[in-house]
Amino acid sequence: MSQEPSATTPSRGARAAVFAQLTGAGRSEQVAQRLTDAILLGVLAPGDRLPSEAELAKRFGVALVTARDALGAVREAGLVETRRGREGGSFVLATEQTPERLLQARLRGLSQVEIADLAVYFGTLAAGCAERAAELASTDEAERLTAWLHDADFSSASDSGRNAGGFYLEIAVVSQSPRLVREQIRLQAEFGPMLWLCLTDPVMRARVYAQNQRTAEAIAAHDAAAARASVRAQISDLSAWLLAAKERLEQGAAADG
Amino acid sequence: MAENHSADSVQARARNCAAAIGALFNGVFGTLDHWRSRVEASTAWGAGEIDPAVYAMVGPELTAADPLLIGAGFIAAPGVVRGKGLHFAWWLGPLEDNPILGTTTEPSQLDLASREYADYLRDLSALEWYRVPEATGARHITGPYVDHLCTCDYILTLTAPVVVGGSMAGVVGADVLVRRLERDALPLMRAVGAPTALVSAAGRVIVSTDPQLPVGTLAAADAGPAWTGAITCPGTNLKVLVRTAQ
Repeated sequence: MSQEPSATTPSRGARAAVFAQLTGAGRSEQVAQRLTDAILLGVLAPGDRLPSEAELAKRFGVALVTARDALGAVREAGLVETRRGREGGSFVLATEQTPERLLQARLRGLSQVEIADLAVYFGTLAAGCAERAAELASTDEAERLTAWLHDADFSSASDSGRNAGGFYLEIAVVSQSPRLVREQIRLQAEFGPMLWLCLTDPVMRARVYAQNQRTAEAIAAHDAAAARASVRAQISDLSAWLLAAKERLEQGAAADG
Repeated sequence: MAENHSADSVQARARNCAAAIGALFNGVFGTLDHWRSRVEASTAWGAGEIDPAVYAMVGPELTAADPLLIGAGFIAAPGVVRGKGLHFAWWLGPLEDNPILGTTTEPSQLDLASREYADYLRDLSALEWYRVPEATGARHITGPYVDHLCTCDYILTLTAPVVVGGSMAGVVGADVLVRRLERDALPLMRAVGAPTALVSAAGRVIVSTDPQLPVGTLAAADAGPAWTGAITCPGTNLKVLVRTAQ
């Protein structure tokens, strides 16, 4: 039997799928999801004006019609209103939505295996960055990282989410690897708000901050094993928190039903 | 003695290498000096005037064939072009597969609002490429470092202060990709005839002909007695290290 795949074997189909265009619907949902996460987490505040459709399309690298569909979905969800005229645009509305509502929407949409796998992926990347940063940090870079963390605000959900993500981006920068930095940016744009959902919980905010301090100390001490261990402990906590929140939600839903 | 003679010529060639690399950077600093005096002579400081004027200066450098510079411009101090924060009249040359901008064929102006992931940086004027020229009043080379604001690549940033009426009005600057610099620097370094590394002031390896001392590592801790004393590339804070024993 020939080992060459014919035009009808699954391997050809799989290869074609790699190069298939993303569907418009999927991309507009992704854009809508990012805007929704940002509004519900408070990164975009009530009264803030969103970029224009054309600007959104440019930033997300999608077609104008895709950005328009996404904005329409966010408007229908009651999160923004669009005003016409010279002072017009799309503005974030004050919302009754709570972090719990965000959890429901986001966590229901993901399976346990997706959440666990995301944590493995992010954890591997972040631990690798931390290990490399510990090996390569100059005294100056280590001091800057420590000073930045010292002044970073972890007292609210939105500030701590931004800073927890920023901390890992800084570590990637210290690793001296453009590939790791690009991957951090990509991963955090896609999953950041989800990963940092636990920071709606004050106990987790304190824990994440303390873990980050240990990581920064390990990097400054050129202790790669300790830096790696500290990052892995944090990602393991994030994963456990997300899975527990999903379980609570679904048990609650089952009880309600 | 023959051995000493040989070592002497390695030293002489290393000095030539350092001089040539210094000249390469001084060429860029010469361009920055030219831009600096043009900006300092500005009479209108609105973004509407400054941005096109800066682009007229830096655009040709970014679109030249095989450009040495991947980014360039003027970064205005707070209060100079707008009230709060720095103003970036900064352009990125054509990019390949940039995480934010994709692949571009024309220069694009840096739009910090599109870098939401960088919101955690509370004060951009505390970054080295601004802070050092502001503090010293002198030109400076930052890096090598992974620049996650513009190119998302490994670069060096050259900056020089702009002074108007005795006060700091910002910096003019240029970014050089390490992988582009490598092409110019490697032939100069191979001519030394012994393993050679170009390192930053902090000892970070920028380009190296020694696989044991690769780009991105810190030479300060690794370079033992087998390496000669660092030779400064004239007019810069960069140094050339040469391995004289195996």
